[in-house]
Amino acid sequence: MKLITANRLSDGRVIYVGEDASVVEDIASAALFDGDDADAALIAAASRPGTFVNPYLVEVTGHTPSGRDRLKETIRSAGPTVGNSLRFQESA
Amino acid sequence: MYRYDEFDAALVRERVEEFRDQVERRASGALTEDQFKPLRLMNGVYLQLHAYMLRVAVPYGTMNGAQMRKLAHIARTYDKGYGHFTTRTNIQFNWPALTDLPAILEDLAEVEMHAIQTSGNCIRNTTTDVFAGAADDELEDPRPWCEVIRQWSTIHPEFSFLPRKFKIAVVASKTDRAAIRTHDVGLQIVKSEDGGTAFRVFVGGGQGRLPHIAQEIAPAVPGHELLAYLTAIIRAWNLLGRRDNIHKARIKILVASLGIDAFREEVDRHFATLSQEALQVPAEELARIQAYFAPPAFADLPRQSAAFDRAVLADPDFARFSRNNVRRHKQAGYASVIVSLKPLDGVPGDITDAQMEVVADLAQRYSFDEVRAAYEQNLVLPHVRLDDTPALWRELMAAGLATPNADLVTDIIACPGLDYCSLANARSIPVAQALSKRLADLDWQEKVGQVRINMSGCINACGHHHVGHIGVLGVDRKGEEYYQITVGGSPDERAALGEIVGRSLPADEVAPAIQRALDRYLEIRTEGERFIDTVRRLGADPFRDAIYAFEFADA
Amino acid sequence: MPELQLLESVQNGPRLSVTTPLEEVEAVAATTDVLVLEFDAFRDGRGFSLASILRERGYQGRLIAAGKILPDQARHLRRTGFDAVELNPGADLATWTRMDTAFDAAYQDAVDPAPTIWQRRAAARAATPPRAPQPPKTEAELQSLADRLNLQLEGADAATILKAALDPSLGLKAAAISSFGAESAALLHLIAREDAALPVVFLETGQHFFQTLQYRKQLTESLGLSDVRLVTPDAAEKADLDARDDLWKTDADACCDLRKTRPLARATVGFTALITGRKRHQNTTRAALKPFEVLDGVLRINPLADWAAEDVDAHLTAHALPRHPLVEHGYLSIGCHTCTQPVKDGEDARAGRWSGMDKTECGIHLGRREPIEA
Repeated sequence: MKLITANRLSDGRVIYVGEDASVVEDIASAALFDGDDADAALIAAASRPGTFVNPYLVEVTGHTPSGRDRLKETIRSAGPTVGNSLRFQESA
Repeated sequence: MYRYDEFDAALVRERVEEFRDQVERRASGALTEDQFKPLRLMNGVYLQLHAYMLRVAVPYGTMNGAQMRKLAHIARTYDKGYGHFTTRTNIQFNWPALTDLPAILEDLAEVEMHAIQTSGNCIRNTTTDVFAGAADDELEDPRPWCEVIRQWSTIHPEFSFLPRKFKIAVVASKTDRAAIRTHDVGLQIVKSEDGGTAFRVFVGGGQGRLPHIAQEIAPAVPGHELLAYLTAIIRAWNLLGRRDNIHKARIKILVASLGIDAFREEVDRHFATLSQEALQVPAEELARIQAYFAPPAFADLPRQSAAFDRAVLADPDFARFSRNNVRRHKQAGYASVIVSLKPLDGVPGDITDAQMEVVADLAQRYSFDEVRAAYEQNLVLPHVRLDDTPALWRELMAAGLATPNADLVTDIIACPGLDYCSLANARSIPVAQALSKRLADLDWQEKVGQVRINMSGCINACGHHHVGHIGVLGVDRKGEEYYQITVGGSPDERAALGEIVGRSLPADEVAPAIQRALDRYLEIRTEGERFIDTVRRLGADPFRDAIYAFEFADA
Repeated sequence: MPELQLLESVQNGPRLSVTTPLEEVEAVAATTDVLVLEFDAFRDGRGFSLASILRERGYQGRLIAAGKILPDQARHLRRTGFDAVELNPGADLATWTRMDTAFDAAYQDAVDPAPTIWQRRAAARAATPPRAPQPPKTEAELQSLADRLNLQLEGADAATILKAALDPSLGLKAAAISSFGAESAALLHLIAREDAALPVVFLETGQHFFQTLQYRKQLTESLGLSDVRLVTPDAAEKADLDARDDLWKTDADACCDLRKTRPLARATVGFTALITGRKRHQNTTRAALKPFEVLDGVLRINPLADWAAEDVDAHLTAHALPRHPLVEHGYLSIGCHTCTQPVKDGEDARAGRWSGMDKTECGIHLGRREPIEA
């Protein structure tokens, strides 16, 4: 299965295409597609450049990235594994 | 330091307005992302893994307290309370919103800062020796020339759409503390025959996928011809550089493919017909700029400081700090103090907003309101009285900025890696932290002495691993993080690229491997030999064997 | 400044891609009055170099840009030598015009005749009278100014230094401090020549030699100084700390603080520059004295920094200035009568000040951490 991800134009944050072409930040809420549906949904996302910057497909098993780029997509979904932004999130 | 006049200030303000216009046109769809990207890059705005990243220019690494406070304010207000200093002595913020950027740039303009040309295919920030103006081996302060280059290269009409980025570094001493031989153009100030300033020009250095050490193209270009010569070099490359493959586009590739002699001929041909007069810095302009870099009002102090000597004897921790982080200064009774951004459990080069406020205060009170950013991703207070260093050290300690490891093994240069960067193959920060933890013993670190360790999360080599004494490169092996180790690189006047020692290792084996290499060094070094000296004497083999020794352990 | 022409129709003339080698472009340019250079991609900056080179090597014809170009490149086109751009259908003229004029000035010389920032700076300096810039406010700005002036005026004589310091374009509010002592007449004379209305602060400690007070009156009149301000210690503080005028015996530092340092701080609130007659030769703490320095957020100007005693003497003689009456009695440096002695032959000129005490400066020229509140 695949999902569609991109950065949001306004703040650069990681977003996913959710149900009914909504925009979600949590990978667990991302809509899952297969085959041609995925390509169509990608084209739809690409036609909304005011929201989706450089959308692309990610291979997943369930809602977990499982392709060649699984480490990067996991980090994108969960945030940095280390560093000062974690300190900030804890206190926010 | 240089202060803007109304022309400099107007230009920066106009740039903010231009960028605001471009952001609006991107939002309205008048610009596609593909069109917008190079425009935002020329204002230092990247789109990274998790968010936009803003790279603010710190021209030739020099800042004052007011600027540091403004950076703290930006970190607090628009970001997550911290910033990151890079190997090009700029500062990066990892979480600004695109819609906040015009406001951020306005804030920066208030303290004469900007993000112009910190990215994109244009001439980038010119960097220099972090000890400029304080070093006792420099011919003159290189920074006025860096400022001349900065002005000349800002929004250059001919050179804003180059084949690739272009980076210049300047030093004024034989010892190269700015890694000029790893830059597209490296400049070393020398004396011309008539006693004036001239430049030994190197061209074609670079890291990345295909690292090169720069070659000398001219031994002594007179100062008044510098801008004309730079124009000729960049023009030659702009016309001939490859534009079909971004990995083959840098000037280092062109120089390597033509050969330095043929490239020099190209440059000379352009130099002969371009307008020299228009490219001469007017003498009064150079004098005006140089006046801003006059030495501060040093007090007339004795060479020895009783207070400093007493503190060294009384407190072994201060003694260690003074051994590693307090550097010789050309003015009697003064020193340059390295403010470490490499704490044991921290992120190399990161600094919190609270720490930035502390550094601003310390710069104003102890260092003539000046602070520098270093190639090594630390900060430096350049002009501190030896008398004041004990008190300064205590204040740095209270803020977590006094790790006494400058140039030691835990003074690691690392890129942000896969935790932040969309280009990366592997994470670098956790590996740097694991290494720091393992080698934390400062007595052992001092015994090992000076070692430069560089970590890059991918082949783009932003961590400069090719020129680390020990380099670590993150690679992606079928979706897993592995790390290649190189040995024997060097960024200074004996510049060299490191040699890969063997197959890549998983993350948890990197720190033990490096420790084995350093233990071996301790076994085989001769009196007074640094790690890099031993490598130069014996080659990489002893260390290769040590690193992969575990493979033979149970044979 | 001529703007880039925006053309909405396809232009006639040889049309070359910017990927064409330079030699070929030059060959074609030699045969035509109109040349169109076509950008295959807006990122391809070769067009700007080609234009620059053609202009530098003498091409005088029309140079037109076409193809994939952004309005944001209008300036780059104009400044490298393009006369016009052939717009693509649907291009927004307003955006092109806006981007072409987004910057008022540029650092680099370019083909268009607009002066560069460097040229405009030189012109601004040469124009008279110079516009008064914002006066410096922060200590750091003052320090930059001091550094700049020290460099600019290296080797200059005292009168030149003083004149530069009083230049109205610096936006400084200046006053002088004088003790009306053994060497004071030299500086006061220079000041009177430059601006006799400049405020001159005299610290009336209450413990001066009466000869000093007489000398002050005499000099003020003969030089025509119209704003000499007598500054006294705070009455309440004095009643508290030194009611019997004998503090100098037990704590000379506290006495100087009460009668000189604090009154001076109060009297100089609002002044951003203070002129003193200090000189390097006077004692070791002044040995590295520069004409311009910053102390406690105020610019200090020492026009006589490199004067020796002989220079003062020569100046007084040359201008027939009266000398302090105590000088011929062996007082080479004169402060309060309580702490001043005559000096013996061969002794350092300030040896009579606080002699026998471990003190060589009263403190008004040494910095403090905390400024006095207004």
